[in-house]
Amino acid sequence: MSRRIHPAVVGAQPFQLTARETFDGPIFETEEGRRRLEAALSRYPTKQAALLPMLGFVQSVKGWIEPEDMVEVAEALDLTPAYVHSVATFYTMYNKHPVGRHFVQVCTNISCHLNRAEEVLRSFLAETGTREGETSEDGEFTVIEAECLGACGFATVVQVNDRYLENVTPDGVPEIVAKLRGARDGAAAGGPAAEGDA
Amino acid sequence: MAENGARADVRLTIDGVEVTVPSGTRVIEAAERVGVVVPRYCYHPGIPTRPAQCRMCLVEVEGRPKLEPSCTLQATDDMVVNTASDAARTARQAVIEFLLVNHPLDCPICDAAGQCMLQDYAYVTNQLESRVDEPKRIMGRDRISDDILYFADRCVICTRCVRFMRDVAEDDSLIVAQRGDKAYIDTFPGRELDNPFQGNIVDVCPVGALVHEDFVFKTRAWDMDSAASVCPGCPTGCNVTIDTKENQIVRVKPRHNAAVNSWWMCDYGRRHLVMTNRGVRADVPLVRDGEQLRPVDWATALDWVAGRIDALGSPGGSAVVSPDASNENLFYVERLLGRLGITGAAFIVPQGETAALPTVPTLKLRADRAANPAGAELFGGRRVDGLRNGASAGGLVVLDDELKGADEDFGGSADFFLYLGTRLAGAARNADAVLPIATFAEMDGTFTNFEGRVQRFHQALRPPGLARPGWMVLSRVLARLGDGEAVNDVRGAFERMAAEAPAFAGLTWDGIGLKGAAAAGSGAEAAGVAASAEADA
Repeated sequence: MSRRIHPAVVGAQPFQLTARETFDGPIFETEEGRRRLEAALSRYPTKQAALLPMLGFVQSVKGWIEPEDMVEVAEALDLTPAYVHSVATFYTMYNKHPVGRHFVQVCTNISCHLNRAEEVLRSFLAETGTREGETSEDGEFTVIEAECLGACGFATVVQVNDRYLENVTPDGVPEIVAKLRGARDGAAAGGPAAEGDA
Repeated sequence: MAENGARADVRLTIDGVEVTVPSGTRVIEAAERVGVVVPRYCYHPGIPTRPAQCRMCLVEVEGRPKLEPSCTLQATDDMVVNTASDAARTARQAVIEFLLVNHPLDCPICDAAGQCMLQDYAYVTNQLESRVDEPKRIMGRDRISDDILYFADRCVICTRCVRFMRDVAEDDSLIVAQRGDKAYIDTFPGRELDNPFQGNIVDVCPVGALVHEDFVFKTRAWDMDSAASVCPGCPTGCNVTIDTKENQIVRVKPRHNAAVNSWWMCDYGRRHLVMTNRGVRADVPLVRDGEQLRPVDWATALDWVAGRIDALGSPGGSAVVSPDASNENLFYVERLLGRLGITGAAFIVPQGETAALPTVPTLKLRADRAANPAGAELFGGRRVDGLRNGASAGGLVVLDDELKGADEDFGGSADFFLYLGTRLAGAARNADAVLPIATFAEMDGTFTNFEGRVQRFHQALRPPGLARPGWMVLSRVLARLGDGEAVNDVRGAFERMAAEAPAFAGLTWDGIGLKGAAAAGSGAEAAGVAASAEADA
């Protein structure tokens, strides 16, 4: 299996994905956008300090952050787009490329590796019919290999959007994928799930 | 900084040499006073921020458990610093080894080779083979602006360029993207740098990562000749170094002068200077022979011109001088005009957009697009908006003005039309004599900047054909008329000017040095600009 690193870099979602279709056009001109921006600005001494929460908010509604969003955030916070680009690319958990509705990250670090994480990953790729980092044609899945997710006691760990699936085995993958397909979003995924702490 | 804000001196020992420096001085700068240049990447004396991130300038301080970055470490009394101890050297070697993990080692095709701080320091570590057998990560190159290329693989992420743009130019449009071994310098996707001072990021780059496109692959560093000069783009007079190869200007870099341009110069100046010597040049003396201008040798031309002037006496007339002419040229022209009874040479200064570097108040691209309008004024010139056409009898002398907007018969009614020029302008074909002179880059001389600072420039190029410096030519014409002696080097010209022109009284060629001195009664003199007392802080 190739280990190429896809530009859709590994990362958890800081916010639960919500109905992203409702956000067409400028994000900070929507009711929700304005509310979030004001809340963030009131919390910090400088506008610049609100950058990470605002990028997180954008990702939570769109699933990823594209250059136009960076320009919007920059304008809202009196920063240069270049600076926002710098910050957004520094943090790997901001997706700079589109991902599927279910963003599946399979941990392959040592504990998970010893518990057949590579097979789990292959199984996810086979079930979703994608290559690593690729988004499935129906826009449902992006599967990606992750570094340690910090739940080594429950290997193999798989993160779907902001939820953890623990003790995943290669055989259990088809059922997980089937449930995810039926679910409105990652929150309804089966398995013994623990709340992810974003 | 000493208590209660006083700037006391501190005494410390660096590599066994005692040195006294003002309190607050950083060790990296104190070391330079004893001739020790601590290796550095991220530190640049012209950039205010010091992130101490490159870890190259680590030094050992006796009594301290860890190595300290000398760029941020303040010198204190009785500090004993060792810049080349085993620990310091080992640390430096480790930094170099890490930098070389992904460096392409493409020195044979890199424009910085020979002037590269990575090459220099890597050479010093004497580690001839890499211990890394992993494949290198490859990133390629990018365009940062319309004329600056970025070779990402060569970059050491010292962030000098980013901090120049952010902290000196106050234009936060160049950033570090990604992180770790994937980090690279970038603008916002789809946008390019657009700042009138952005060219300086190439100068601060310690390696070959940022290169001007008009310089890329043009020459090896060791094949260039260099001359200290002054930018003629505007009356600020930024101090520059002109690099030439095979008698062509290939690169212009700012030369440090704390009182004028600090470490920087504008892009307009850079481009303007590179273009200085383009175009078809006047390279042989011409004298009128009926309808024709006949090429002659210098002796013939000078005798002929002197003879004509001698015969004319003092008929009055008019003159046009270039505000790009050197002080010496303007001085000699004024002498010649005096001889002809002409007063108040006209000069025309092209105008352009201004630009300022926010954190360096002395450095501005000024609206006047000429090197020496202040000098032209000192020698009695009158600033005019445009060329005055029409008939005027008597003498007509033109010094290197290209006579834009001149009528076809410009100067036709003058009794004697003398044209001294670097190029044969259209209307110059009406002249009775054309004497080819050198551009500023082809001779030694001085300019007077906007605040009256007299600055030396040195010959970078050979003049084409028979062209010679204006002061050399004019001193010979005047010598034939019994006024002074023919001078062969700029010292002679400058000394005569200093002796006879009140504005230059007291100045000497050596006294001006490479950093300039104030003309008498100028704004620069009032501001206390001294010839030699300038600190390079």
